[in-house]
Parts: sequence; C-alpha cells; structure tokens
Amino acid sequence: MTALDLLALPDVGEEFSFSDEHELTRASARRFLAERCPTSEVRRLMDDPVGHDASTWRSMAELGWLGTTVPQPLGGAALDPLHLALLFEEQGRALLPSPFLACQLALSALELAATPEQAARWIPPILSGEQIATLAFEEPSGASRGAADTRAVPARGGWVLVGVRPHVLGAASAGLVIVPATEPDGGVGLFAVELPHPCVLVEAERSVDTTRRAARLVLEGASVPAAARLERSSRAVVERVEARGRTLLAAEMAGGIAAVLERTRAYACEREQFGRPIGAFQAVKHPIVDTMVSAELARSLALGAAVAWSREPARHDTLSRMAKAYASDAFAVAVRRGVQLHGGYGFTWDCDIQLWFKRAVASRALLGDALHHRRWLAAALGGA
Amino acid sequence: MSQPDELEAFRARAREWLLANVPARPSFKLPQTFLEVEAREQLEWLRDWQRRLYDAGYLGFDVPEEYGGRGVDRERRRVVTEELVRARAPFLVNFIGLEWAGPTILTFGTEAQKRRMLPPLLRGDELWCQGFSEPAAGSDLASLQTRAVRQADGTYRVTGHKVWTTVAHFASWMILLARTDPAANKYAGISYFLFPMDATGVTVEPLLKMTGEGGFNQVLFDDAPSPADSLLGEEGQGWTIAMTTLTFERGAAETHARERAAALLAQLGRVVELAREREREGAPALADPVLADRIAQLWIECAAIGLSMARTRAPALNAERPFALPLMNKLVSSEWNQRLAELATELLGADAALWLDDPRAPHGGDWTRGYMNSFGMTIGGGTSEILRNVIGERVLGLPKGK
Repeated sequence: MTALDLLALPDVGEEFSFSDEHELTRASARRFLAERCPTSEVRRLMDDPVGHDASTWRSMAELGWLGTTVPQPLGGAALDPLHLALLFEEQGRALLPSPFLACQLALSALELAATPEQAARWIPPILSGEQIATLAFEEPSGASRGAADTRAVPARGGWVLVGVRPHVLGAASAGLVIVPATEPDGGVGLFAVELPHPCVLVEAERSVDTTRRAARLVLEGASVPAAARLERSSRAVVERVEARGRTLLAAEMAGGIAAVLERTRAYACEREQFGRPIGAFQAVKHPIVDTMVSAELARSLALGAAVAWSREPARHDTLSRMAKAYASDAFAVAVRRGVQLHGGYGFTWDCDIQLWFKRAVASRALLGDALHHRRWLAAALGGA
Repeated sequence: MSQPDELEAFRARAREWLLANVPARPSFKLPQTFLEVEAREQLEWLRDWQRRLYDAGYLGFDVPEEYGGRGVDRERRRVVTEELVRARAPFLVNFIGLEWAGPTILTFGTEAQKRRMLPPLLRGDELWCQGFSEPAAGSDLASLQTRAVRQADGTYRVTGHKVWTTVAHFASWMILLARTDPAANKYAGISYFLFPMDATGVTVEPLLKMTGEGGFNQVLFDDAPSPADSLLGEEGQGWTIAMTTLTFERGAAETHARERAAALLAQLGRVVELAREREREGAPALADPVLADRIAQLWIECAAIGLSMARTRAPALNAERPFALPLMNKLVSSEWNQRLAELATELLGADAALWLDDPRAPHGGDWTRGYMNSFGMTIGGGTSEILRNVIGERVLGLPKGK
C-alpha cells in the first residue's frame, strides 16, 4: 500500500452531505440552548448537587435528542450522525451541563452489543429521559489498553466484576452503567450494571469542571446476572463506541472553541487601551484569527468524522482520532489565549472564559489525548 | 455537467493519455513550480507540455468554447487535476495566466478582450505575468505609484517600477495595476491593464532568489505605451478587479478546492515515503516517535484542510462566517506546506545541507530547495501577516489598525 492510499481522506460527499434538515437541527438546538442554558444557568448548575437541570433534560428527551441516531425499532429517530454531532457542537458552545455524552456512550454500546431483548429493556428508559446511563470506559493512558483493569469472572450462573474506573461521566446520577471488562478468555465483555448496586461504590469526583460531573466507580466483586452481559460484546464494539464518543466529544469541543472565539472577539472590540479597541493591535488581532482558523479546522474534522461514521465506517476510527486530537490541542490553546487576551478580567471568577477553560482541561484527555491519538496515527502509517 | 458514467469514461481516457504522454524528465534541471522558471530551455519544455495537454483536450474546463476553452465543466476539471497529480505530470508553466489572469479576464473583460486573450493563454502560446507589487507597495498594495497617463488618442503611457514579477522575462502580457487618477483616493485612483510586455520603454531585470534561482524580476516602465483597449473594466475600477484576482490567487474560489486537497495529500505522501526511506539511529526515521508525532500532526491538519474545502461547498454550514474558509485557505495551506517542507529537510539529517550541484544530494537537493521556495507562498499573494489582518477585519469584524 502506498503512502498516498493510506493517507486518503474519507469521501464526505460533494456538499458534506449537509441538508436543510441538518440546518433545522442546528438552528433549533441553538435557539433551545440560548433560552435554556445561558451562562447564568451554567453557573447555577455548577453549584447544584446533581449538576444538571431535570426539566431541561426532560425537554431534550422530548425533542428526541437522546435517540437521534438510535434505530427506529428501538425508539430512536435513526437520523444520520451529522445531526447528533451538530447537537453536540451546539451544547459545547453553550457549555450545557448534562449527562448527554454519558448517555450517548451507553446507547452506542447497547445499540451495537445488546440483543433485541436487552435493548428493549434498557434503551427506552434512557430515550425517555427517565434513566441516566453511562459507560465506564478505560481511559487510554498509553500504558493500559482495553479493559485490562477491570475483570469479569463467571460465578453462580452470572458474573462477578472487579476493578476501578475513574472519571466515569454522569455516574453519580446514573441508574445504569455499561462496564467493559476482561473475561477469562481474554476477550472483552460489556456488562450492564444497574445502580445502585451493593458492591459498586460510586465516589463523586471533585472536578475542576463542575459543568460535567464524573465519579470513580469501584467494583468490589459486584455480582450481575448472566443476562447483564451484552451478547454481541467484543473489543471491536468497544472500539466503535469509543470512535463515536470521540466524534461527539470533538464536535462539542469545536463548539467550545467557537464560543471562546466569539467572547474573545467581542471583548477585543469593546475593551479600549491607548485610545482604541485592543483588537486593533496585531498582537491581539492575530492570535484571535489563529483561534478562528483552529475553530474552523476543528469543526471540519469533527463534522467530517460524523459523516464518515455512517458513510465510510472504515475511515471513521482514524478520522475520529484526528478530530479528537486536533480539538484537544486547539481548545487548550483557544482558552489559554482567551484568558490572556481578557487581561486582568480574564483571570477573575466573573469572566465566563474560565468556564470553557475548565471544560477544556477536563476534556483534553477524555477518550484519549492528542499525543495518544497521534501515536496511533503514526503507527497506522508504519511509524513508531 | 457530466454524468457519472461519462465522467468515469473521461477519467479513464485521461489516465491512459497521461500514461502515454507525460514526458520523461529532461537532462536539465526543471524548476519546482511556475515561480522558478529561469531558463529558455525550461520554458520551452514546459510550454510544450501545456500545449500538448491543451491540444489533447484536457485543459480549459473553466472557459467557454468560444474563448478557446472546453466549455465550463467543473467535474472534468477536477478529474483532470486529480489525474495530473496521480501521473506526477509537470506543472503548467502559464499558471498565472490560467489561474489568475484568465478568470479575471473572463469576469471583467470585453467580448473582444476575451476572444483575443484567452485562446493563446490556455495553450501557453502567450504567457502572463502580474504587475501588482512595487518596491514601496507590498503589503500596502493600494499605495502603488506606477502611473498610467491617458493620451489624447485614448492610449496610455506607463511609468513606474514593479517587483517580484514572476516570469516577466518570458511573458507576452502583464496584468498591471497603475494609478490613472493621482487626485482620487488611493483605491479609486487605480486602474487595471492588460499590458503588452513587448512595448517600448519596458525593461525586465532578473532578480535572484535565496535558492540562487531566477524566475522573478523587476520591471521598469519608462513612458511605455499601452493601447486604449488594454484597459480592463473602467478607469478607477482597478482595485475592485485586483481584489478579484487576489481571490483567485489565494485559492478562495471554491471550485478548485478538491483538487488542491488532493495536491496537499500527495505532498504529504511523498514526505511519508521519505520518512520510511531515511534512517535515523539505525531505524527508519518514521520509527522515531518525535518525528512520527509531527508527521501525524501534519496528516491531521491536511485532513482538516481537505475537509474544510469540502465544507466550503455547503453554504449553510458556513452561514455565520461565510468568508472564513475561503479567506483562510491560502494562509493555512501555505503555512502547512512550509512546515511539511521544513520537516522533510529535518528528515534528511546532515544531508539536508547538500545542494543541487552535489551528486549525493538526496533527490537532487529538491527538499531543501522546496523548503526555501515555500516562502514564496507564505509571502506572495498577500503575506500571512496581511492575511491575518484581512481575516481579522473582514471576517471577525475586529477594528482596523489605524
């Protein structure tokens, strides 16, 4: 295979497969979030014990957001993933505190690995908003991969799960967690664990980013029935779920970069020093342009990954890694510049830039950081 | 517009023709791009290639037939460009004519200008150069001082000094910006000419690039005559027309986006091959985690640029900042290309210093030459710094510097 074949880009269609319906999705999400989630609401929820607004969450369920890509027989809308990526971009822009990403990860795992009976049991309550679900995925730290740290042992007609999973999104409010665990034969099983469970400790983490809650899950020999194992589990399923998660997270981060850009731009037009708006100075103007450039590139990668998800599955994994890697770095740079260019005000609690700054810190390594994914990409080219 | 089957048949024919007709490299050194054509033998060899491509029917898919083109067909144009990249065909020597002057003439020219200028432009029989920059008017282009004075008979007399004029030494025509009304404000006083380079009073002096190559010049005009019908558009409309040319020059015209993406990918592919072939610490350079990380980053950005170009064609996806993608295109691609070229020289290790005339220079010294020449793209057509101003002000609405 020549280098050129390896490098080939996914065919995202002549016009990015973008239709009027996509535009409708984007525009209605923008309106909904402008109304329901101004930054005052974000700040209110930062101090909320649960961390998201129950009525907003119910509305999201009623609008069909939660089941956007879920097949119709399972109660979803079966729309293409570009719709879902656009929703994530908008909620990342608004910094919506919610277990949206957690639920999409769990839904992906259920959609890809559950039997019809299992799906019928667990998916509908998630789509209706009654049940919050999440996935206890392994953070790729480079040293460990797959489900190595969590084990599943057959016992008494079911399974016993042992292991520790930090940074499980939304776990403290979840009624269902999908746990990938290594089985005795070395394969990966996905286990649907209903919470609360007497042998599953859920320790809420105190995150710098209180707009997205996470918890540490301690599985102290937690027994689950045989039917809790999603029957079509495999490592390949876990990888596909991760690719989807990276795509959505990258779209969310692209939305975050756009929000930081807009705030920084507006401040540079309004704040005057030396008798003119600071945005007139090239030392301020050019970094803002660089943020715009990275916002656009991050958006192209994330939405491109969403298109590849359904249209070119063979390239989706690669593109989702590119999108996540690029967004991780670009978001970090955008918030760094954002704080700096707001000057003394940027350093205060009052300035909203800090909210995205913290989200960028918490999202940077979630589902793999840039170094991790570039390492994978380099290996795909035949490198280290 | 071609039908899909027809288009694939056309692609097959083009591929076959290219296979049979892409010339073997000549005995002399070829320039890397249209910016570095310095010798007559290079010119003739390259011109011959453009003629054969045109005569075979593969050039001119953005020009109507009555002006010597093949009829506007974006799909066929894209297919040809993809196949040219694939076949590693030589570049087209009349690049300035094909990409900048031609589309501008097609947009603003009179019927007579289009019929006169476009056929020989497409075939490469007449080369074009661009007379925009001056010694004291680079980034601040609108401060240009070259004058064109209208005579009683309607012709003009041009006096002034242009610089960085690529292929002026071989060009038949120049797209020329000159001031026709010194009293008007600096934008309104400018007019746009299709200037004949064989006019009396024109002196072309070669300039030497940092690579030691020629290819660009300074052009001196001493009361040089330009015919009445050399004016493009109206007097005083020059700045507006020039901005259109710069839009083509900066690749903002979305029609060519996909072929540009293919070209970037091809460049990256060559660097990946280089990284497999070169050794470092007893292993392929690609096995070095630091270098591999940088290559991966460039791959990611290449994909991002390519996808952005695809996204340009979905206007609803760019409704908030419709000019962001078109205007950032040249900035991003030229800086990407420069980093890629620099990385290629690093992959060579100490051999990067071996120059064109050293028989042991890897790939004839082309990587190092390419790195140096990459600055032509980050400076020409609006420096990266000016483009950041343009984007900041026109796209983001940031205040002007003064």
